[in-house]
Amino acid sequence: MTGEHDNEFRDLDLKIAKALQIDVPALKMPELPAIEADNVATLPVRKRSRTLLWYALAASVVLAVSITIRTNDLFRSYDSLPDEVLAHLDHEPWALQVTDEAVSDERLARAIPASLASYERGAELITYAQPCIINGNTVPHLVVQGQYGPVTILLMPEERIAGALPLDGETVKGVIIPFGKGSIAFIGSREEPLESIQEKVINSVTWTT
Amino acid sequence: MNSSSAEGTRRQRFDSLVTVFHQDMYRFAAWLSRDTAVAEDVVQEALLRAWKSLDSLRDDAAAKHWLLTIVRRENARYFERRRLETVDIDNLTASQAALIAETPDGKTDDLREAIFRLEDGYREPLVLQVLMGYSTDEIAEMMGLKQGAVLTRLHRARHKLKDSVARE
Repeated sequence: MTGEHDNEFRDLDLKIAKALQIDVPALKMPELPAIEADNVATLPVRKRSRTLLWYALAASVVLAVSITIRTNDLFRSYDSLPDEVLAHLDHEPWALQVTDEAVSDERLARAIPASLASYERGAELITYAQPCIINGNTVPHLVVQGQYGPVTILLMPEERIAGALPLDGETVKGVIIPFGKGSIAFIGSREEPLESIQEKVINSVTWTT
Repeated sequence: MNSSSAEGTRRQRFDSLVTVFHQDMYRFAAWLSRDTAVAEDVVQEALLRAWKSLDSLRDDAAAKHWLLTIVRRENARYFERRRLETVDIDNLTASQAALIAETPDGKTDDLREAIFRLEDGYREPLVLQVLMGYSTDEIAEMMGLKQGAVLTRLHRARHKLKDSVARE
């Protein structure tokens, strides 16, 4: 397959992704029945807990005889926060469109629940906003347009880190910086100067958790 | 943990997952059923089923896969119950037409209609890959196909879309 052919289909995929992103009506939660107390489970511990992982893996070996569920999906784990952040980008490639179409304030508000953070919107061009899950926690995923293309921002109020963590992907680079009791990831193309975007975002975000 | 706080924690966990994945659930249901009204019904049923079986979800990192699998099953159940007729592209109901309603910028209208026209077996893996970000082996597992079959369907789906857009 030639590079030109690759580019042609990559461009087609971006167009398909855009076409598939139909408007979604507001969530209407159905009336949820009470669950028998005996059946109520406590929250699972965070997935980096090696104890749970080993129990889960041990259980999966036993269950594998009769159950065909793929355990790598159920117990997918990452060695580090940077690994998980970079893997997350690979799972939402359509977020990285070069576009001048800003997301609406309503969509931005849905992506950043008031229970997690507040975000004071400025002049930056936000072209993607979606709540995601990183390490079992809700994480607002934003994309702004930088000088050299889309820049991904992940607001992670639950991920406390001691110092900045570099991010180094095949075609992208970035950093996770500590911010209050959480952290924020910034990832762009290798040429992208991220510092000015970092400054704007840091001045716009307040954790509310 | 007493039962009321456990149930509160359970509800909090469910709300958090639904907040994050509701859009994916709806879009997947809409493109599977090609009908926005059916998609809303399917998502409601899927949410109920997910609530009842939430304790079987061991790791929230697998929540998206788990919820989309429930949506897929509920969509199949819906059509089994209703035995709906094949969609006639020239005679759409309002909720079918809503899926391919003109976009504000008009740039994606033709492509959206071309996706709508794709056969179910081509449209579903395309949505799972391009919109949901799944790999071909994950799609194969979800659809009960061999990976080679998924690759073939994706290849054909893209060529069909490319051809139909080129014709417009």
